[in-house]
Amino acid sequence: MIEEPYRWVEAIANRREYIETQLAPGSPIAALSYGGGILFVTVGQARQKLFEIYDRIALGAIGHPGDIERLRMAAIELASAEGFTRSAADVSLRRLAFYSLSPLLKTAFEQVYGAPYLARMIFAEVGAAPEGDLYLRVEYDGAIAAEGGVKRAGFCAISGTARATELMEELLQRDHDPKATLHGAMKVALDAWSIGSMPPADDLPSGLPGRPALLAYRQEKLVSATLEACVLERSAATSIRYRQLAGDELQALSA
Amino acid sequence: MTGDSLGAAAADFPALLRRRGLLNEAAQSPAVGVSSAGAVFVPTHSTTILAFKFSGGVLVAGDRRATAGNTVVYDRADKVLEIDRHSIMAIAGVPATAWEMARVLEHSLQYFRRTQLQEMSVDGKVRALSKLLRDNFGFVMQGVGVVVPIFATYDFAGDGQARLYFYDAMGAQFEVAEYAATGSGSPAVRGVLFYENRWGKKLLGKLREDDAVTLALRALDTAAEADTATGGVDRQARIFPIIKIISAAGIKTLPEEQIAARFKSTVA
Repeated sequence: MIEEPYRWVEAIANRREYIETQLAPGSPIAALSYGGGILFVTVGQARQKLFEIYDRIALGAIGHPGDIERLRMAAIELASAEGFTRSAADVSLRRLAFYSLSPLLKTAFEQVYGAPYLARMIFAEVGAAPEGDLYLRVEYDGAIAAEGGVKRAGFCAISGTARATELMEELLQRDHDPKATLHGAMKVALDAWSIGSMPPADDLPSGLPGRPALLAYRQEKLVSATLEACVLERSAATSIRYRQLAGDELQALSA
Repeated sequence: MTGDSLGAAAADFPALLRRRGLLNEAAQSPAVGVSSAGAVFVPTHSTTILAFKFSGGVLVAGDRRATAGNTVVYDRADKVLEIDRHSIMAIAGVPATAWEMARVLEHSLQYFRRTQLQEMSVDGKVRALSKLLRDNFGFVMQGVGVVVPIFATYDFAGDGQARLYFYDAMGAQFEVAEYAATGSGSPAVRGVLFYENRWGKKLLGKLREDDAVTLALRALDTAAEADTATGGVDRQARIFPIIKIISAAGIKTLPEEQIAARFKSTVA
């Protein structure tokens, strides 16, 4: 196969198609900056999809649970070893994603005899000021898009299909307010999730459906699924800024 | 990169450090370098730390002096270390080893929570510290790395009560119901706390926060009276002990002004 470059390109293309098909049903994840930090929101079944990586870094992932687990572990190991031997301030999402995870993913993706990672991820790192927030969308082939491709957007979205992600970004671009309260940010994030997870409608008249339609859609979905959310707080008493939202607090925020 | 992270050691942070060659070899193997024949092992842990339960949780206090032999090398040492949101390790012993041990423990608990997606149980935390002490015993036998800590925490998953432990240098842990003290000044402190608990106006467990702070300051002052390795309160330089309180809400470090005011009105 090495001697036949065309077959290698073909194999890669097939593999890309296969992975995209596998990722397509994934429930979208929205991450966005609000007044107090960064909020991650998704809706899913029992399995957790939002994770703490280090003091200031969180991960949201769709894909195969086994692959997500391997990547999550790799990220935590790298960050923890760095944080222990140097200091927490030396743990940087940029280095973690660009110099460690991206090469790992690319190698696995292009070794056509081995299995690729079936995963699409959002990493976010909360900064001291909103300008320091960093969002990275990391793909199964090692490609990384900062801020979901939009420079300094202050938000990032992933979903099963490129079309759904575009719709989420369009909505976030329109509604996102970096100074919003957590409650306000939750509403926008849920709208983004709803539009990303709605069945594709090619004949939408003005692009995005209205808020009532999005609300009705997610109320119907939430009957049989669970809302999951976490925050990276910009200022907190401890160095650990990750906090899972749960119970009454989550209930109140999403009402 | 991740293949060997599966299995029993998946959540074991010291194992990760070993795999990456980041943990000092000598610290892992108690067998090496057992002290030469005839040398007498004299445990020295010159400091005083104490902890007791009161109505608002657990109070942990430590003096600020660090000594080498009979020289005072540092008078602003912090020996009451926060390990996680609800756990404190207070250390008597060799600072280099103790601080490194606290660092490994802190990272171990975080690593466990992040990888396993749940808090480590109180028993697990207590045992993790015990294991670190045991792994350090080689240094203890060489007479260079003895650490005798107190561990205080709050049991959320269990009965929602404060829990308090002290350790010996080999890693045996002892849970106490009321109070614990270690370090060279601890006999005096144990005397003070025993007396207060038995014949004082109130049981230690019923003290209000103000009275608990007073008692801690008086106990450390008592220890410093006879033990040169305990700093107590430096009245001229205005150096006060570190006092932290663990409650259901988390860990609170008492501000120096508050301790100073309390000291002035009830101790000095």
